[in-house]
Amino acid sequence: MSWSINIVCCDRRRTRWGTEILLLLALAALGFAQDLNLRAPEAPVAGNPAALGTEGSGSATLYLVGPSNAAKREIELGKSISLSATELQSAGRYIAIVCSGNCTSVSFFVSPAKPANVTFLVHPSRAPVGQNDAVSGVALTFDEFHNLVLTPLAVEFQLTTKGSASVWRSAETRDGIAWFRTSSGRSAGPLQVTASLRGDMVARRIVQQVASDPCRLRIKGARTAKGIVVETEPVRDCSGNPVPDGTVVTFTAKSGNETSSVDAPVKQDVARATILAKGPVVISAASGVAMGNEVRIGGD
Amino acid sequence: MAIAWIALWVFSGLSGAFAADSAPQVTLSVARAGPRAVEALTQRSIVRDYRFAWNNLDLALQSNSTAALDGLFVGPASGWLNGAVQGQKQSGLRSRYANQIHKLDVVFYAPEGDVIELQDTAEYDLEILDGGKSLHQEHATVHYIVLMTPGADRWVIRQLQSVAQF
Repeated sequence: MSWSINIVCCDRRRTRWGTEILLLLALAALGFAQDLNLRAPEAPVAGNPAALGTEGSGSATLYLVGPSNAAKREIELGKSISLSATELQSAGRYIAIVCSGNCTSVSFFVSPAKPANVTFLVHPSRAPVGQNDAVSGVALTFDEFHNLVLTPLAVEFQLTTKGSASVWRSAETRDGIAWFRTSSGRSAGPLQVTASLRGDMVARRIVQQVASDPCRLRIKGARTAKGIVVETEPVRDCSGNPVPDGTVVTFTAKSGNETSSVDAPVKQDVARATILAKGPVVISAASGVAMGNEVRIGGD
Repeated sequence: MAIAWIALWVFSGLSGAFAADSAPQVTLSVARAGPRAVEALTQRSIVRDYRFAWNNLDLALQSNSTAALDGLFVGPASGWLNGAVQGQKQSGLRSRYANQIHKLDVVFYAPEGDVIELQDTAEYDLEILDGGKSLHQEHATVHYIVLMTPGADRWVIRQLQSVAQF
């Protein structure tokens, strides 16, 4: 029974001093409400039970409003109020309100639990070899309840390519994030990138390193019954990696004052084209910024 | 003298009306941003989308409807806010976040621009109600760590985690 109900009872049986009695009881109720102290849990951690201290006596209603929940239940004042691990899973600010006639509230912060997961974002999925700052990774540390763990943590980044020693980089999280940026390697192939936290939480990603732009072109040609067949030698980037199929090579034939061009894709390292020309021609090739040699083919 | 009182009354009435209806105020600082610089267009988008998100957060927690959260919050932030709305609905509670002022600081912008971390020093008038009864009123200053990621047509909030201090 709360003091507010007592006031209603007395008001119905009002004496000639009813107003004064009512006033006194109201003051008493106010005094009672002011005694309704709450003590916040000490350094609560997400996913762990905690206790809320109350003073006074009698029943009251507890409201707990947190980042991901809101609950209401009846409690007994003067006792420690248990807050379950489930109620405190989300890190952040909670407001506990206890109402018994009047309401009193206290706010407290729940901090994240220990790290349990690393979210690892790596870009790009394909990177040309030999490019500065081509690969980057961002690691975010979370506890098991998806709270961002904000205390500084050491994250180890490991970059491994086939046939070469791993490269390690260490970074400390700041506000839950650690990152790195690095150049791509010199050989085409998969680059495995891992982020590990305390050695047991590991996230792996693969970056496919592909050949860069063609570095130089060498072409050869010969006249056949169908025309002049020209082809490149295997097209490679400056690190010696064969360029991907589909890389376009442009062949240009100059015969007198006439110039004609044909585009041909690289297929199994080589680009081929047939040029129809009867007189003597000079044929050259280009792909990206790479220029090839010139080939002179005599007339029929 | 009378005119002055009338003017004061009119002014105070107007300011009250503005306070009740005002949209969240959001300012953004990129002085600490890195490693990627935050482009001007991105800054404008983040301010616009963060303001809209908080406006709808207030609507959702006032009306106990999760519809206002759709498309603005994803991942843990969406899960948490949906949980808060469901909890309020079950308990008969409502919350109001009035007169919001958000001061955003970009503290991390990923090299490829796929995640941005912000610190928000937020001020608002928070009221928690059980039915029609006001249980709690305060002018609160709360610090938030925010993760936003680019969505199809806007920046969305992935993490909205309040902290005791930065």
